[in-house]
Amino acid sequence: MENLNTFQQLAYYFSHNGLYVLTQFDRHFLISIYGVVFAAIVGIPLGILIARHSKLSATVIGIANVIQTVPSLAMLSIIMLGLGLGVNTVIATVFLYALLPIIKNTYSGMQSVDASILDSGKGMGMTRFQMLYMVELPLSMSVIMAGIRNALVLAIGITAIGTFVGAGGLGDIIIRGTNATNGGAIILAGALPTALMAIISDLVLGWLQNRLDPVYKLAKQHK
Amino acid sequence: MKKITRFLKVGILLFVSTFILSGCGFPGLNSSSQDTVRIATQNTTEQQIMAYMISDLIQHDTNLKTTLINNLGSGSVSFQALKNDNADISAVRYNGTDLTTIFGQDAIKSPSVTTRKVRKIFQEKYHMTYFPSYGFADTYAFMVTGKLARKENLKTVSDLKNLAPKMTVGADQIWVNRKGDGYTGFTQVYGFQFEKVYPMQIGLVYSAVQSGKMNAVLGYSTDGRIKSYDLKVLKDNKQFFPPYNASPLATDKVLKEHPELKKVLLKLKGKISLTTMQTLNAKVDNDLIEPQVVAKQFLEQHNYFDGKDGK
Repeated sequence: MENLNTFQQLAYYFSHNGLYVLTQFDRHFLISIYGVVFAAIVGIPLGILIARHSKLSATVIGIANVIQTVPSLAMLSIIMLGLGLGVNTVIATVFLYALLPIIKNTYSGMQSVDASILDSGKGMGMTRFQMLYMVELPLSMSVIMAGIRNALVLAIGITAIGTFVGAGGLGDIIIRGTNATNGGAIILAGALPTALMAIISDLVLGWLQNRLDPVYKLAKQHK
Repeated sequence: MKKITRFLKVGILLFVSTFILSGCGFPGLNSSSQDTVRIATQNTTEQQIMAYMISDLIQHDTNLKTTLINNLGSGSVSFQALKNDNADISAVRYNGTDLTTIFGQDAIKSPSVTTRKVRKIFQEKYHMTYFPSYGFADTYAFMVTGKLARKENLKTVSDLKNLAPKMTVGADQIWVNRKGDGYTGFTQVYGFQFEKVYPMQIGLVYSAVQSGKMNAVLGYSTDGRIKSYDLKVLKDNKQFFPPYNASPLATDKVLKEHPELKKVLLKLKGKISLTTMQTLNAKVDNDLIEPQVVAKQFLEQHNYFDGKDGK
């Protein structure tokens, strides 16, 4: 093994442990996704709420900001005290970190909807619910999507340290590499897929965000 | 007023839905559902191989799912995980380590007495079942390079006696100053001293002796690098170092809920010898194969997946 260079070792590693890397990749992705989905379930309605009641906005965004300033390893340990070891702790941590970008973007997305459009909606006799679904949400969807995109990239990074509370994921491979004698290739075997996952999900959500942008839709119709 | 009640309703709905969602466990992650066995394992190669073996066997022989709580820092952390109901099984316990570090008692020379004592305390005080050993024991062992061993015809620790006054030795920093089975005890039992003993980080001793920076080192007997670096383990002919038998530990709670686990955990009893463990460790530490893959290969080669138990 010593006569191979790091990249040959890496190729060797993938050819022998491919399936294992794949299961950890899958696990890593699921942990991140679950955290972000829960944050979206809570964050989007909260963002809409504070957009309607601007008095609340300072407090809610303030709290989310404070959460964001806690270092992730510290947050993980604090939550571990309550939820114990394992994957639930990591999902809860991801959830908390994903809240801020989602709330903030929902809030600013809703704020950016032109008041005159809202007025015309009101003039057409739309109910509040109709206004939300047919006017405000479609117009702010691309901004909300940008928040989710931020949150997911953040989540993939946080899940990597989840290995310290025994949650598994690609962080496990990285840690094993740091413990092994010549672990350079193993570290890369964990770190490269993590980076790849972040880049790919960023690209996919970026594409989705553009598709949801009303300006893009409009341009397409006029073609 | 109407507005407030509506927000309250939405709030309660959100709260309840997240609560329900988090309670039922996450599909694909085997997190907190009822039929999942949580296996705690530490950050050493040996621990992870054994944990994956247990995990594979449980999944094959029973209808239970498993999840690994990996990379715990020490034996006491994984014990705490069991105690706090964060885990159900601890993959590998070393009887001597448990006796001295977790129960805070003095080391006992006889491994069988140690096992009996440790099993009793685990059972009575913590309601956990300490299973019979896998068949290998991890212990401190003196090792030299194969070249030196052949040249000087070294087989036992006593063979070092004539060379000792000119030898530099690297040893685990905890061991050097330890009372009882530490260096002082060693010189009394074997009746000779080395020229100099350097306290070292245990993970570094193997490469130190291989590269010739030390003449001999004291390391763990199961480490995979013994094989890959062609080191010779010298026989502890005066039985100074107590062997730390490796066994699994499970909480009584999980054994009561899933009695079939007991049979599975007994399947590996006495099946893994010291040389087997060294070979498996070497595959991970030297050949870049993941513990999970090594465990699966071992079980496949030894026909553990052929039987139709449970399924």
